[in-house]
Amino acid sequence: MNNRIIKWIDQRFPLSSFVKHDLTEYPTPRNLSYWWNFGFLAGFVLMLQVATGIFLAMHYKADVTLSFDSIQHIMRDVNYGWLLRFMHATGASAFFLVIYIHMARTLYYGSYRAPRELMWWTGQGLLLMLMATAFMGYLLPWGQMSFWGATVITNLFRATPFFGEQVVIWLRGDYGVGDATLTRFFSLHYLLPFLIIGGVLVHLVALHTVKSSNPSGIDLAAKDNIPFHPYFTIKDLYGLGIFLIVYCIFVFFLPNSLMEPANNIPANPMQTPTHIVPEWYFLPFYAILRSVPNLVGGVVAMGLSVMVFSFMPYLDRSRIPGGARYRPWYRAMFYLFAVDMVVLGYVGYTPPSDQSIVMGKIATFFYFAMFVLLPFISRKEEQWLIRRGLPSDVKALVASEAKEKIKLPDQRRSGDIK
Amino acid sequence: MKKLIVILMLCCSSIAAGAAESKLENIQVETSVQAVERGADALMNTCHSCHSLKYITYHDLVKFGMDKKKVDDWRGDQPLDTAVTSQLSDETAIQSYGKVPPDLSLMTKAREGGANYVYTYLISYYITPEGMTSNHVFPETKMPDMMGMSGATDPAQRAEIQTKARDIVSFLAWAADPHEEERHKLGYYVIGYLLVLTTLLFFVKNQIWSRLK
Repeated sequence: MNNRIIKWIDQRFPLSSFVKHDLTEYPTPRNLSYWWNFGFLAGFVLMLQVATGIFLAMHYKADVTLSFDSIQHIMRDVNYGWLLRFMHATGASAFFLVIYIHMARTLYYGSYRAPRELMWWTGQGLLLMLMATAFMGYLLPWGQMSFWGATVITNLFRATPFFGEQVVIWLRGDYGVGDATLTRFFSLHYLLPFLIIGGVLVHLVALHTVKSSNPSGIDLAAKDNIPFHPYFTIKDLYGLGIFLIVYCIFVFFLPNSLMEPANNIPANPMQTPTHIVPEWYFLPFYAILRSVPNLVGGVVAMGLSVMVFSFMPYLDRSRIPGGARYRPWYRAMFYLFAVDMVVLGYVGYTPPSDQSIVMGKIATFFYFAMFVLLPFISRKEEQWLIRRGLPSDVKALVASEAKEKIKLPDQRRSGDIK
Repeated sequence: MKKLIVILMLCCSSIAAGAAESKLENIQVETSVQAVERGADALMNTCHSCHSLKYITYHDLVKFGMDKKKVDDWRGDQPLDTAVTSQLSDETAIQSYGKVPPDLSLMTKAREGGANYVYTYLISYYITPEGMTSNHVFPETKMPDMMGMSGATDPAQRAEIQTKARDIVSFLAWAADPHEEERHKLGYYVIGYLLVLTTLLFFVKNQIWSRLK
């Protein structure tokens, strides 16, 4: 019976071959660590945000006179409305946390290198869409921080050459952030997640073409690949369990810790809050914006600080496999960069003082210097590593993999060892 | 950009100055119906003539478990599902105080420091050498010292005012987050369930991966 139905479908739709190709026979490196769980987690959080968001939208009102009250209506009167809203608000932070870890893993293990550039770039596009979605969603509660955050950020578009003023008005739909801004942000906040889902599909098609990278950085032979299902479905589910425990601690016990107190005051265009801060996930980029003492320069620096990751496949000149694992210099750079991010986050969070402004400038310089120096450092490091000899376990792995497969020269990838 | 930075710096320096005035007391917010009801009682007598709680109705108070007779006293002849709004009109408020007293429904969530801030603010009134009433936490405040803290010299009287302030804050904390208790209760179940589920998933994962040799 079951087989007959599947056969019927298979004659009309490639169901069985899809399941085979992408799940039960999809080859996955057996040595993936738990850092490889975060792509799945990001997909899960995306679904969670869409699901909770759809229900929130049923009770939310996008109107400057009603939106703040409608959030309180959700929090107080709607059955489990508080749960929906806290899940959605905490979910935004969870989304960025998971995505940042996902990106850090890619950077650490050099997974952006050939042939995975398109994965890295589609991922970069997804990050931009995620940032836009989060930013627009933050306006919807119509609190003080919502209003002033949107005012400050839309104001940055004044830096556009020739039409600065017009672009700002066009974005806001009005001279100031107002009802027109709120309704369009709501509409786009509902639209963008579906574009993100489309982008995720492209990201996944690319993944299933090039297959997962792995901690060794060496393209593994068939013997070291195992089917995605059941091995990684269960590993992803276990990882999901851990993630959900952390997530639920925040949703049920610390939901307000991620919310700015000022956003519990309705937006008031006549009164600037004492300290405008973005959400934690924008802080490093906000610090870079503030560290350049010129509007255009600041905006360009901030945009570049997000986009500069796209150049990684070209900036990293080393062909040593395994990313930071076998590359001590690159590893040091990775950790220094992580520390620099934290410093920038701190600078973005604190009110500007003489000290924090200097700190922000140094950290911003350091941030970009890393990318500028990377081509030279990675080249030198490669030469040094080859002269010194690779660690014996890498050599053994490369040799054993090479025995397993004969590769044509044009199939070599930049991460491969000749 | 320069303008923006200047504005930001001005804003920030003002909050830094305000926050540095005095340290916030650390209090334990009580969640029992009795404490919240005592707080509601105190609030109705001391604050309600000027401050509203527009997101709370009298019916919410009854539903939470407060004495129906007391709630009836507070609401007078208004229907049970009316919001707890003050009788003070905005015009009168601006005439007397220069501004409309803020709504208190979200007060413990809307200030840095939360309940600790509100409590410390309420008990931080003092008399300046010039004979004026001022507040350590919020010197620019327009609110008069309704609790009488600045005039209280007797330690017993001060302690009484502190208890009253603590009750009011307990009520405000409930009003700002009425589902907190329910949320915590549900949270224990959800996390307990997830712990069991994740442990089982861990064993299943090990079992499946043990097929690989």
